[in-house]
Amino acid sequence: MRRWKETILLMASTLFVHAQPLGLPPVPIPADNPQTNSKIKLGDTLFHDARFSADGKVSCSTCHAKEKAFTDHLPVSKGFSDMQGTRMGTRSAPTVINAAYYTSLFWDGRVPSLEEQSKFPPINPVEGGLHSWDHLVDMLKKDPNYVKAFNEVFKVEKEAISIEHFAKAVASFERTVISGDSKFDRYMYGGEKDALNDAEKRGLKVYLEQGRCVSCHTISQTHAIFTDNQFHNIGVGFKALKGKSEAVASEYIERLKAHEKSVAKDKGEIKNLAADELVLSEKRFSELGRLAISHETDDMAAFKTVTLRNIDKTAPYMHDGSLKTLEDVVTWYNLGGKLKENDSTTAFLDGGIRPLDLSKEQEKDLVVFLKALTSPQFANVKDVK
Amino acid sequence: MKTHMIHIILGIVFVFTSTLISDEFTNNDLKVWKTQYESVVKEGRKVFTDTTLGTNTVTCNECHPNASNTHPETYPKFQKQLGKVVTIAEMINWCIANPLEGKRMAVDDARMTAIISYITEERKGVKLSPGKH
Amino acid sequence: MKRRDFIKSSGAMLAGAILPVSIVEVVVADDAPKGSENFTFAFISDSHLQQIKGTKFVRNWDMGLKKAVAECNLMNPKPDFILYGGDLGQLGKAAEIDHGAEILSALHSPMRMMLGEHDYYYDLGEHWSKRFGDKYYSFDHKGVHFIVLNSILTDEEWIHKWKTPEERMSTMAGLDDPNGSPFMVGASQRAWLKNDLSNIAKDTAIVVFSHSPLQKIYKGWNFWTDDAELIQEMLQPFDKVNVIYGHVHQIQYNQIGNISFNSVMSTAWPWPYPSTYKQAKQYLPKMTIEMNRADPFFERDATGWQFIDIHSGRVDLNYQLPNNKNRTIAFNEKSRKPEDTKYKLGDKMPPQKHY
Repeated sequence: MRRWKETILLMASTLFVHAQPLGLPPVPIPADNPQTNSKIKLGDTLFHDARFSADGKVSCSTCHAKEKAFTDHLPVSKGFSDMQGTRMGTRSAPTVINAAYYTSLFWDGRVPSLEEQSKFPPINPVEGGLHSWDHLVDMLKKDPNYVKAFNEVFKVEKEAISIEHFAKAVASFERTVISGDSKFDRYMYGGEKDALNDAEKRGLKVYLEQGRCVSCHTISQTHAIFTDNQFHNIGVGFKALKGKSEAVASEYIERLKAHEKSVAKDKGEIKNLAADELVLSEKRFSELGRLAISHETDDMAAFKTVTLRNIDKTAPYMHDGSLKTLEDVVTWYNLGGKLKENDSTTAFLDGGIRPLDLSKEQEKDLVVFLKALTSPQFANVKDVK
Repeated sequence: MKTHMIHIILGIVFVFTSTLISDEFTNNDLKVWKTQYESVVKEGRKVFTDTTLGTNTVTCNECHPNASNTHPETYPKFQKQLGKVVTIAEMINWCIANPLEGKRMAVDDARMTAIISYITEERKGVKLSPGKH
Repeated sequence: MKRRDFIKSSGAMLAGAILPVSIVEVVVADDAPKGSENFTFAFISDSHLQQIKGTKFVRNWDMGLKKAVAECNLMNPKPDFILYGGDLGQLGKAAEIDHGAEILSALHSPMRMMLGEHDYYYDLGEHWSKRFGDKYYSFDHKGVHFIVLNSILTDEEWIHKWKTPEERMSTMAGLDDPNGSPFMVGASQRAWLKNDLSNIAKDTAIVVFSHSPLQKIYKGWNFWTDDAELIQEMLQPFDKVNVIYGHVHQIQYNQIGNISFNSVMSTAWPWPYPSTYKQAKQYLPKMTIEMNRADPFFERDATGWQFIDIHSGRVDLNYQLPNNKNRTIAFNEKSRKPEDTKYKLGDKMPPQKHY
């Protein structure tokens, strides 16, 4: 009888772990971090644990709250608070939903995996504010519940618990934060011809043709992840660097060299950790985008293409949260990288961005279509800050 | 003997008529159809170099001299710019709408047929490889 | 070899920017030609600014040149000078050339200009000369002798047979137009070149800028210089010669005897390799590792600009390729020819992620 129960539980957990929403490809799982129920549960707990911050009040879920579609609805995120006030970052918190499909994380792709991403915010001076990973790991070791859980999940004794285990558990949890099954998915991949109404269908046509959205926010024959995992300058933040790109880029390179030395001393030789600190603490460095990581001229002010799933629920938009509504976003693209006709556009604009000449109706239809990318489990998310 | 002769005559008649109604074309047919095809290819070259095909005076041969890099032998295939598997006509329309900033045409438009004829003619002899990138 | 950053990362003195370690070794070991230094210059080319009507130009080509100018200005330290490789306008109209001059005026380093056929065949370079000066000339810089040729001339008879300048220009403008005519340097310019070279010591490094390839690659698309052998013969006696050419809108490189050949990118659009045209024979240098095809959605894909390091009289081209991995074609002192620093001959270029 017990064996029968175990078998059913095992089958159920397998189903749980491998459930495939309509419209998504299988989640990529790294070989060294397979999914297990207990690991996912541990990751979920760590994700919501606010102890891993300088003021004991900031967890991953502070900026990536489930009830806010795993973001915080702020233009730029806030970190811990102390007598000097609340720390402010320079960038908008991307949603965790479907982040499992990104091949690099953060707006500038400075780390290659969810595991690596989870390690940076707790020790960033404007986010979690902990001095080092040792501090975080100490807290894990001092908590008997965590010691037990890490032992169960990773077969590791208390002394051997490391930041890598923390990272693997959190990433494992995040790989379950995926969603498909939107009206678009049912229409496109589920064969439900009436899942989209007429305006949404017209919007899809704009998306695939005159709107030119599909090339970066990719849709494929059998699934859609809505990102090409590349970096593009679409003109956002141009005003901050206008006339100063050369000076800021040169200054950043100098500062980076110096900062890498001090970070290596304090925290260890971790790739792009120094960049992580500089771009979140100084707005003009943040505006350099991918260039801050790759040092390539073509990456000036280029940012990662984000998924559009649940986009209606993850306002405000862009790396600096500067576009408040989907209507603004559509205007931005329609004018070829600006909000007003008379604004100028950056010379560094990506070759895929150009004026679209959409009619007012086409713009409205496109917005309506984007709202059809919301998955059922996030349908009730309200725009609360 | 008579029956035999009748059979032979009928046989000859049958062979003769069946030659006319079988799958062979006359030499004249072949000549005429070839000329018609070539005239469409020629028309296609004209459209291919026509500055009024789009709205910005850019022509197809600016990026595709002698229709190079159009790869008609790889269609149909998944076309990333369109998000699905397409025929070459749909991709030609994408090019007209995007680099040429013009208006898509019906896939059976005479100009579309002409462009495809020209492109394929310039690519003759290359093995079919549908779906290839 | 460490990838070369476009921006100086620390106080390096050599060539004004960080050099890969192996090249530093070569500089020390090799005897640099007397009186020559190592330095960097930039090369922007083939912008093909195309007038639609009045002040309206093809936005795509405009963006290409603007982007190259903006990116070139990011270089720190600044390049010694910037060479413009020809084909600034598409149909040689005054409006196009003026529009180009305006965009180029934003560059922060001194410019040197070269003619392309698209600048020339409307009015035989009259307006271009008014704006930019001599059609061919030479100059010396840090011990290297630079020659700028007008290598897109052709048969006098062909030039004067046309009813209108528009007809002549639009025929030459069609790369695959069968009524075009092959490029050449021509007898009078060859005479000038002979005289210019007679004053140069054999161990002085020479860089020849030319719009046409000074080789015979594919006649159908005028990847061709009719008197290529004569020019090459004149350059043969010199120890270190580098020919850098435009026109082809793609990466090509070659070594013929003592002469290194390197092409440059267009800021406007790419051209396919002549080997992709199956109905004709062509002679692309065998050592060239070809670029990948472009994704036409990204208008800057397979376009770009380049900065060129000159060290011990040899050139390394650092291609800045938007939407692409940058490539460096460097002179290999061991094999004594230009080679890609990352990919070997026989390697297939890894597929581009976005295509």
